[in-house]
Amino acid sequence: MQCDDLGPRMLDYLAGALSDDELSAIRAHLTQCETCRDEVDATAELWGELGAVTAPRPDSARMRARFDAALQGYIDGQSAPAARAGRLPLAWREQPWVQLAGAAAVLVVGVALGRFGTQPPPSNPEIAELRQELRDTRQMVTLSLLQQQSASERLKGVSSSSQIEQPGSEVVSALIETLRHDSNVNVRLASVDALRRFGGREGVRRDVVEALPQQESPLVQIALIDFLLEAEGPEAAGVLRRLADDMMLDKAVRDRAARGLRQVGL
Amino acid sequence: MTDEYLMRAVRDGDLTRLGVLFERHHRPLFDFLYRMTGDRGAAEDLVQDVFVRMLRYRATYRDDGRFETWMFRIARNARADHFRKQGAAVYVPEDGMDWESEAPGPARLLERARDMVRLKRALQALREDRRELIVLVRYQGMTHEQVGAILGVDAGTVKVRFHRAIKELRDAFTRVPEGE
Repeated sequence: MQCDDLGPRMLDYLAGALSDDELSAIRAHLTQCETCRDEVDATAELWGELGAVTAPRPDSARMRARFDAALQGYIDGQSAPAARAGRLPLAWREQPWVQLAGAAAVLVVGVALGRFGTQPPPSNPEIAELRQELRDTRQMVTLSLLQQQSASERLKGVSSSSQIEQPGSEVVSALIETLRHDSNVNVRLASVDALRRFGGREGVRRDVVEALPQQESPLVQIALIDFLLEAEGPEAAGVLRRLADDMMLDKAVRDRAARGLRQVGL
Repeated sequence: MTDEYLMRAVRDGDLTRLGVLFERHHRPLFDFLYRMTGDRGAAEDLVQDVFVRMLRYRATYRDDGRFETWMFRIARNARADHFRKQGAAVYVPEDGMDWESEAPGPARLLERARDMVRLKRALQALREDRRELIVLVRYQGMTHEQVGAILGVDAGTVKVRFHRAIKELRDAFTRVPEGE
């Protein structure tokens, strides 16, 4: 293998998605070529950091209202039977997505009334109920998406989990399962990001540490190191030391673990 | 029900089924368009535009077509038209304005946040086609084959272009001054 052959395969290498033959060829090349080793290390680090560049969440309720108006206008323009009836067909309203959007819209209206009304009610059990309903629906959507065959759907599921204010343990468990077993490296990386906000929970950190040996992708290994460092749990130092000394791991992973040890003052 | 089934139903006249597709796809579509435009309002408008185009051009949806591929092709066209209308496609990234604050905040996160701002700037400094590749693979979780289907090139070409894009991003990252 030549240096030029590595570039197009690098991401597959980092994702642990190459055949054994290709993997052996790349590893053999990396033992001889310091330039390529450095490039792999730099790419792995960049790939991990890209995951932390977030985008804002869209205002789904407002967008949905605009979309509904546009759709209805289009249907009216076409003089479709459903439009003449003045309401949407039953099948449409029975969709859980529509119910979710409806709940979100009612919530937004409720919050707006509460904020801008002349006499805002001190507490509104209906809003609390709607919030709960919205959360339950989001949880259901998240769990359902995480089971899909398509990686992009599962990625949506991971992303959807971050929109749940106080997710139940089944969502956290589903994220851990995703981290352990998902076949797609980007989905696993996203699950590490989604688990960050639970880094304060000892059980989550334990699950993450247990998931580490199952990970073959250096990208995920580095993301997990970052997770442990951010979580600042007592187990981090021991895990990082093991990783830093494990000669079977990619050099970028060992270096990241060693740097992590220095970060925590060891 | 699959996306493809729903889109075929829309094409064949059951327009209300597009609402299900909107719920399923407006978030990733917004994410893609936000990362490509750097403008939240423009991204929301473009999502609407994409779904209106789906209605208008629904007859062009083929039986054997993957819905997501078709949708992203429409999204790319909508974005290109948007940039044409805007004139030169230059925008100032909204540094620091849209950071999600999900992680806890120990001191070292500050350094990380600064790096993230630099990385965001480096991404925006990339050529649009390079940035698009990174966004589709890294943030939409697409394979080289899926990206190839959207761009109309083979997976091998995507791999080579993607590698180039990553290299350019690394270079751009080192050029963005630290401490901003």
